[in-house]
Amino acid sequence: MKRLLIVFMIFSFSAVYVQLAVAQKESHKDYAAMKIPECNSCHKSEGIALNHDVDWVRGHRVLASRGGANCNQCHDQAYCLDCHSGGGINADLQTQNYRRDYIPKSHRSDFLEIHPIKALDNPQTCTRCHDQKYCTQCHSQFRGTDLQFLSHRRQFRDISLSSVGPKHEIFNPTQCQTCHPGGILPSHKWAGDHATEARRNLQSCQTCHGDGDVCLKCHSARQNSGLRVNPHPRNWGSIKGNLKDKSNGRSCIRCHDSF
Amino acid sequence: MGIKGVLRLLLFVFLLSATSGWAADIHGKSSTQLLWFNDFYNGRQIELGEYLQFSVTKLDKDGKFNIYGYGRGTQDLTNGEGLNGRLYYLYGDYRDLFDKLDVKLGRQFVNLSAGTTIIDGGQADLKNIGPVAFTVLGGRDVVFGIDGELSRDGNYALGMAAYLTGFRKTDLDVSWFRKWDEGDVSRDIVGGSFKQYLLDSVKLYSNARYDLTSEVFNEVLAGIKYFPTANLVLTGEWFQSYPTFDTTSIYSVFAVNRYQEGVVRADYTINENIAVNAGYSRQDYGEDGTADVYEAGCTLRPINTLTIGLAYDRHEGYGGHLDGGTFDVTWDATKELMLAGGLTVDAYNRDFFPTVSGDEIAQKYWLGAKYRMGRNMAASLRIEDDVNVTYNSNVQGRFVFDYSF
Repeated sequence: MKRLLIVFMIFSFSAVYVQLAVAQKESHKDYAAMKIPECNSCHKSEGIALNHDVDWVRGHRVLASRGGANCNQCHDQAYCLDCHSGGGINADLQTQNYRRDYIPKSHRSDFLEIHPIKALDNPQTCTRCHDQKYCTQCHSQFRGTDLQFLSHRRQFRDISLSSVGPKHEIFNPTQCQTCHPGGILPSHKWAGDHATEARRNLQSCQTCHGDGDVCLKCHSARQNSGLRVNPHPRNWGSIKGNLKDKSNGRSCIRCHDSF
Repeated sequence: MGIKGVLRLLLFVFLLSATSGWAADIHGKSSTQLLWFNDFYNGRQIELGEYLQFSVTKLDKDGKFNIYGYGRGTQDLTNGEGLNGRLYYLYGDYRDLFDKLDVKLGRQFVNLSAGTTIIDGGQADLKNIGPVAFTVLGGRDVVFGIDGELSRDGNYALGMAAYLTGFRKTDLDVSWFRKWDEGDVSRDIVGGSFKQYLLDSVKLYSNARYDLTSEVFNEVLAGIKYFPTANLVLTGEWFQSYPTFDTTSIYSVFAVNRYQEGVVRADYTINENIAVNAGYSRQDYGEDGTADVYEAGCTLRPINTLTIGLAYDRHEGYGGHLDGGTFDVTWDATKELMLAGGLTVDAYNRDFFPTVSGDEIAQKYWLGAKYRMGRNMAASLRIEDDVNVTYNSNVQGRFVFDYSF
């Protein structure tokens, strides 16, 4: 009885699926000039959801990247590139600029200031339009001392030398070696919290430390140049060969003499 | 192939086509723009820009071969940055060769479920050979920076896809995308996407990218849309990503956390004059890093010629606190004249750069007007003022003259 039920269900689902799937897609070329609200007149009766709603900016990625996407029946490539690459020939009055580049609505108000928060709403979002080099172009002009986030705060400043002694804040980084000879960290602005922050949002580290030199101070496997702290993920054993082969060892040689 | 190579090739093809004696149609748009803005580092800057977008069609008897182009040039008038250019695309498009092949050659935007980029190269689509169609693309990888191209020698991209075609309510595709950086493989991704309509009121969809180098799913998305009527769409989505980096970057060897996000939202068009939406996202960055994001918005059309838009969102949790939104009004004062204005406001406090004095406030006010002169000309002016932590007042704007031909 159970088998019969399973066979019946498979047959039924297949029949429904074939019925749903066989009809041909409608070309939208002839409707390209229509206003979006007018699309409902067809879509309403066809059981096809409208996808040009207010959620379109967030949701269009899946529609546009699928094989055989029909976006080009109504839009030319300028429509994509005006947002993705700063074009602006079709910008409407609502569209803002950043310098000469036109930017989408999601980059509102003072985006330079709020983008560290906005970028967290799906950290992949930024890289859909911006290469990492784009971030570095701006971030490389920052002074390291401007940063105050948790892993970069000078947490040693409040620690006293003894129960009655002065706090560390009276010293500058060049004096570290006086009391901590051989100390490998050049300044006292690095806290243990950096590991958690880096794992949550490593892309943000890369925007300022593009070549990762600061990471290697601890994570390099070379003797006398680092603390040899292993930074690799859990599946490293199975993937390290991939990285070596594809990058031609460019990443490996940064920390290892032999690999 | 560099820009010059693409240009030469297209010019050659264009000249060959022109000799065939068919009168080509040339259409497009020119946009001349005067921009003034404050550069964060260099101060006040004024630039003159020229955008040109065109299509050349009917190059052959059957109208199968067309050329499309889009680019801009800007000249800095104040800070000595000089001439700056960007070629977005310039490609020849031959469709329906033997009724089975579409070919695009030149600089173009390419998009697969496994990856997206701009290439100087070609794309071929093989179709009408059954229920499955194929795409192959490849060429020099083009990367734009703030002031020009950042591509280096040995930057290439190659991709291919196979996808179901002809199925009205089903989409399914598998693709592969690879990038090279200075000759070394920097990205190697397999992607896929799926969509299925069910019972005239449900849409299931998903998308995934698998990083072949790191052997992890770089991105996975699964969603459902329920639309009991065409005016009401309820959405539920789950998304996760595992950040991966170019293999040529030292960051590719570091352990990272998986990011996960759950989204629910509703979009309801109450009638022709009122549409509302609301949503909630729960974000998880791993190791107890979480955030809640709420959003709400509406579009009002009290009279036919007036549109009012409101959008609000709130981020609370990892990363800091952000409360903000936009308000804009558009009024078609006459058939020729459109007036618009609006503001955006954000109150924020970032974990990364905390302020002890409370939230920082960023405001932007803008006004704009557009006047159409006949069928093919329009002029517009947009001026905005930013009031934020950097500027007490930062007035910038643009004047645009558009001509369609």
